Amino acid sequence: MNRPLPLAAAALLLAASVPSQDVLAVKGGQVVTVSGPTIDDGVVLIENGRITKVAKAADVEIPWTAKVIDATGKVVMPTWVVAHSQAGQRGFNENMQNVPWLSVADAIDPAAIWFEDALRNGIGTIHVLPGNQTLLGGAGMVVRPYGRTVEDMAVAGNTGVKLSLLATGGGRLQQIRRLRRAIEDVREYVADFDRRKAEFEQEQAAGAIAADKTWDEQIDRTKRNAVDLVQKKARGWLYVPSAAELDEALRLSQQLDLVLVLGRNIDEGVPLLTKLAQPVVLDAELEYFETDDETQKERKLCTAKLLADAGVPFVLSIGDGGPTAYPWWQLGTCVRNGVDRQKAIEALTTVPAKLLGLADQVGAIAEGKLGNLQILTGDPLQATTWVETVVLEGAVAYERSKDPRLKLLFVEPKPAEPKPAGGDKAAEPPAPAPTPAPAPASTGTPDGGTGDGKPQDGGR
Amino acid sequence: MSRLASVLVPFALGTALAAQTTVFTGARILPGGAPPIADGVLVVTGGRIAAVGDAATPVPDGAAIVDCRGRTITPGLIDASFRGGAAAGDLNEQGDEVTPHLRALDSLDPDDPALARARAAGVTAVHLMPGTRNVIGGLGCVVKTAGTDPAAMLVKADVSLRIVMGSEPSAENRAIRGGRVDSIYYRRPTTRMGVVWETRRAFHEAKQALELSLGATPAPPDRGREVLQRVLRGDLTAYTTARSEQDIRTALRIAAEFGYRTVIDEAQDAWVVADELLAAQVTVLLGAPSAAQVQGSAGRDGADPRYATAKLLADRGIPFVITTGTNTAALELVREAMFAARNGVAPAQAIDAVTIAPARLLGIADRTGSLAAGKDADFVVWSHDPLDPAAVAESVHIDGKPVPASR
Repeated sequence: MNRPLPLAAAALLLAASVPSQDVLAVKGGQVVTVSGPTIDDGVVLIENGRITKVAKAADVEIPWTAKVIDATGKVVMPTWVVAHSQAGQRGFNENMQNVPWLSVADAIDPAAIWFEDALRNGIGTIHVLPGNQTLLGGAGMVVRPYGRTVEDMAVAGNTGVKLSLLATGGGRLQQIRRLRRAIEDVREYVADFDRRKAEFEQEQAAGAIAADKTWDEQIDRTKRNAVDLVQKKARGWLYVPSAAELDEALRLSQQLDLVLVLGRNIDEGVPLLTKLAQPVVLDAELEYFETDDETQKERKLCTAKLLADAGVPFVLSIGDGGPTAYPWWQLGTCVRNGVDRQKAIEALTTVPAKLLGLADQVGAIAEGKLGNLQILTGDPLQATTWVETVVLEGAVAYERSKDPRLKLLFVEPKPAEPKPAGGDKAAEPPAPAPTPAPAPASTGTPDGGTGDGKPQDGGR
Repeated sequence: MSRLASVLVPFALGTALAAQTTVFTGARILPGGAPPIADGVLVVTGGRIAAVGDAATPVPDGAAIVDCRGRTITPGLIDASFRGGAAAGDLNEQGDEVTPHLRALDSLDPDDPALARARAAGVTAVHLMPGTRNVIGGLGCVVKTAGTDPAAMLVKADVSLRIVMGSEPSAENRAIRGGRVDSIYYRRPTTRMGVVWETRRAFHEAKQALELSLGATPAPPDRGREVLQRVLRGDLTAYTTARSEQDIRTALRIAAEFGYRTVIDEAQDAWVVADELLAAQVTVLLGAPSAAQVQGSAGRDGADPRYATAKLLADRGIPFVITTGTNTAALELVREAMFAARNGVAPAQAIDAVTIAPARLLGIADRTGSLAAGKDADFVVWSHDPLDPAAVAESVHIDGKPVPASR
């Protein structure tokens, strides 16, 4: 396939759109580089949007012109990389089935809350593709969740075409047949195009066509993406809703450069996946229950664990709502089910970066890569950890202390009533008596005491 | 005499087996409502807790020892508002909109997969209430999550009377205006006004009957009315499901009007009406604090959940219990506690809100909800701190017996 085109102008665009500092230094934090060893009390230097130095504080001289972010006591990590997402678009499933000429660039909504949440959660790179309900669904692009326009957000284009085996009107077999037919149609078109071009050249050589005439027919605009796909110039991202469609998916991947985007219920197909060259994309819902038809017993399965055990490389997805929208939840779910912690982290950093052809740009904190990093209050796999700061290409894109929506979600709507010193009024009647309550409940005692969640005995 | 012996012998054998002592050592113990024990010992004998303490706690001779180093032990979690899976549809009696005498216990299916999931996730007791499609749904009960016989699983019957405010009892109902007359949707009420009216009428009639019966011959028995009178007399706590600000206020108003005690269930908008909740001294059941939206049929109630609610309740001193509740997007109970902790509730309080706090609320704290000598041996051995997303319930014990895991 063609390498995706990291927009060389991205850094320039950024310089114009973001008040970028020439030199940014993040110091004092525990730097989890992902690709290399973790550095305690490390310094990351970012110059003109690229990381120029990652080392222990003692080994770095921070230029006096640098803007310095003190990350002491915090964790510094690369921003997360999401290899496949359909969120953040307005209408990601075209009603027509065969629409390879479309592009997500026309559907991405820079104002979508999902992008805002993604940034808030430390996601820095997102590959946006059309949804799973079109046969040949159009081209994707890689964006960062920051910017007022799609151009601002753009990181890389030409990232491939979406295909899907999800049965929409009609059955599963029909969908398989339709996809084969659609791909065959493209091949026939290419063959026809080549035949006509050859005929033109033959006729010209025979003198039937004037020698100064050139073949000026272009590949049909609406077919160009699909032609690139069948000629393996563009990668296909094939949605495989369940293990039942895997056979067809593997057959197609013999002919095309495909990445499989798996549905949730895939456990029966795991042995087949070991044959794939590329990592697979997992569904955002990593855990699911399966009921045994005979015994009616439920089993809890985790796709990440099944694939890790089978040695199939994978990347994680991020959901568009609920807990799966949090990277820490996705990683925690992996670890909870027995996936190695480092492997889980790589499935949201280095592995998707490589899959997107952006391994030299994102996914790790290393010299030469884009200056994308997040500063977290603690361990990235803990629920109580929050993303404090996100730096994208050397510019601060997010600061928790200045996050207006987070403030709104957490704000107390009305100022609390002034409480009498030393207690609250929980034990008093609502009469306006100023006397302190006789038995105030202690509030959130740090020693792990009863706290104030002690309700009255219902059997009283 | 010989007959008596034949009865006694199996009993004696039973106690001998039950008296088997198991000791769990080396774990961090969060006893529930008490300070954590760093290197704790939990002694279990015959289905009950014999002792809980630090490493110096004496270990009885001949006891089986389970090494729990690196693990955390908590009391079994208690879900104070549990939505059964398969049984959920079976908990909405559509024969009438006011059914105070119906018992959720009678619909309990011990094989309900939702119970199996809950218990695999460390929940050892649940408060099962009738569904939310009736104005007054009926009586709730607390059951352990393992067992085959509802009677044996029962911890406490008749702990609550479910009342539902908001749009759910009237959803899809319509008046009979011609057409087919046998539709199940020909039910009253059809509006919020109607829901409130049905509640008021039921309590008014019960109150009237109660007053009439004083010093005179009792009014003709009516099973539903008798239950409402228990609420009016203070012998039974109402659990009023009220999500939106408007519905919470209504629930408090009706309770004050008739002078009965209520718990506010599913109080998603508690953050708006904190003052009123504090003044009314009610306990709040906070359903699925992880969810950003109310999912399912209750979505139209218009509640606006906020991440900060649990912390706000904690800061204001409003007693609250974390539940999975009616939200179809609810996670495992321990994850709901984790989200409360993420959003600012002290970790110890988040654990208390799914253990000792619901036990006290439901009146079962003498048996379960905390780890103390004499209580039922309902506890969970967690692989990590239970508020860590990586934590799994490695073993779950109900009445001292490990329950089969789901995987």
